[in-house]
Amino acid sequence: YHQKICLHCDKVNRKSSHICHNGGIYKRPFKESFEETPMLVAVLTYMGYGILTLFGYLRDFLREWKIEKCHNATEREEQKDFVPLYQDFENFYTRNLYMRIRDSWNRPICSVPGAKFDILERVSYDYNWTFKYTGRIVNDVINMGSYNYLGFAENSGVCADAAAEMTLKYGVGVCSTRREIGNLDKHEELEKLVAKFLGVEASMAFGMGFATNSMNIPALVGKGCLILSDELNHASLVLGARLSGATIRVFKHNNMQSLEKLLKDAIVHGQPRTHRPWKKILILVEGIYSMEGSIVHLPDIIALKKKYKAYLYLDEAHSIGALGPTGRGVVEYFGLDPRDVDIMMGTFTKSFGAAGGYIGGTKELVDYLRTHSHSAVYATSMSPPVVEQIITSMKCIMGEDGTTLGQERVQQLAENTRYFRRKLQEMGFIIYGNDDSPVVPMMLYMPAKIGAFGREMLKRNIGVVVVGFPATPIIESRARFCVSAAHTKEMLDTALNVINEVGDLLQLKYSRHRLVPLLDRPFDETTYEENED
Amino acid sequence: MGLRSAWKQMSWLYYQYLLITALYMLEPWERTVFNSLLISVAGMAVYTGYVFMPQHIMAILHY
Repeated sequence: YHQKICLHCDKVNRKSSHICHNGGIYKRPFKESFEETPMLVAVLTYMGYGILTLFGYLRDFLREWKIEKCHNATEREEQKDFVPLYQDFENFYTRNLYMRIRDSWNRPICSVPGAKFDILERVSYDYNWTFKYTGRIVNDVINMGSYNYLGFAENSGVCADAAAEMTLKYGVGVCSTRREIGNLDKHEELEKLVAKFLGVEASMAFGMGFATNSMNIPALVGKGCLILSDELNHASLVLGARLSGATIRVFKHNNMQSLEKLLKDAIVHGQPRTHRPWKKILILVEGIYSMEGSIVHLPDIIALKKKYKAYLYLDEAHSIGALGPTGRGVVEYFGLDPRDVDIMMGTFTKSFGAAGGYIGGTKELVDYLRTHSHSAVYATSMSPPVVEQIITSMKCIMGEDGTTLGQERVQQLAENTRYFRRKLQEMGFIIYGNDDSPVVPMMLYMPAKIGAFGREMLKRNIGVVVVGFPATPIIESRARFCVSAAHTKEMLDTALNVINEVGDLLQLKYSRHRLVPLLDRPFDETTYEENED
Repeated sequence: MGLRSAWKQMSWLYYQYLLITALYMLEPWERTVFNSLLISVAGMAVYTGYVFMPQHIMAILHY
């Protein structure tokens, strides 16, 4: 395989591992890989799901004929002639597959979710339909699941003290919306700080990250506008796009040719029946896609946006604070100008250890949103201790509190990410995504291994998040690790050894590539693929 | 000692079988049902082979 230039990359039907030096708009190597599912593993996974489906039908039959006690919700006797409520595949899946391994999710945590946390131990005597607490607390479980990228989820230190002080001064509840009486001076300070952090003219902060997307996209686009959204966008973006009433067209994940084709069609043909030009074309993308670990091809998108005169909405929920030399997000990671992105959205939940979201852009945009956003008019504004946590952590990252703590954390996160990803790939697991993304999805594929992995890791004191259908395609279930700056090298080494052990026990090392040491050569036509088989 | 390691190996292989066929997620009575179905089908196949294989081999050799 020759090395391919970025514009031709797509993850269908090829071992697409490549290093891109794309004639100058990519200033650094962009290395992503989405290894193909091995054929035998895919067949066995389908076989496993087939067996589970058959047993699911058997159990449903037994429940219907009252041979077995029915624990889940069913319609009442009087409603049996109505349209059935629980017959679709989602409910079948929940009753018969999800319930069996339900103990890997919703685990109650009883300490701050920092680098280590405590879990309440649960036991179930009726196969996960009900749980009982044994009363024991499992201490110091290494946390590989929280979105704690810069380690600001802590209950001691500067941020926590500042938030506590703010609670004593302002209380916790705001009891009003931004447009009525809920606009504190702290909110104004936060918004100026966020604008300075991002390098934009102005910004606005909202109380909930999900609501930032779903309530502001309807305020920006409406009927007669076109939304081009990525295949794997988050539910908040999809909900906001649907609520707006605009026409939605989906392009393949991170595929610039698909996007360009859609843009060309939109410009040439216009609206569906009348062929009038679209009022606005909005491209919805995310900075880091958390299920794949892939980073958006931002230089290509900005080039396309300028060529076809479209607007760009960038959702940096996972990438703000986590990418870039000073943690300013994916725009700084690629060395681009923040003014090229029309609407920069992000959340404070992940890297800042707080809650809420923001939108940054030109002053006209933010002033418009202050009056027209649903969230500003109807939703309660952010709580004061949360605002103070964001202000303190942002000042720490920017270095304005006088220490280099923020800079150290950003560098620690980058080091941890590279180390963790490299080690996992060397061990032979299939890891999706970009080499620089702190979200590390590791493929599990088989349904029984989802439950087994979660349980075995907890037995060895590591807390992980496993994901299956419907958040991922049905055979591509995965375990998603989130690397944090709060993890020391010893913790990562412990975690890696345990993952190695569990990987051998469950036979998870599916990868057929063995990496050779990375050779940092400039791109030339005769360079062959860096992996040996 | 050889018996102990053989037992461990068999136990690990049985665990892999449970994971691949997703029997790991099923309750014990469901596992019994599936295992007995599988063993009866496999047993019937072996028995048929045992009864009919000599005839088939003779037929092939005399053709």
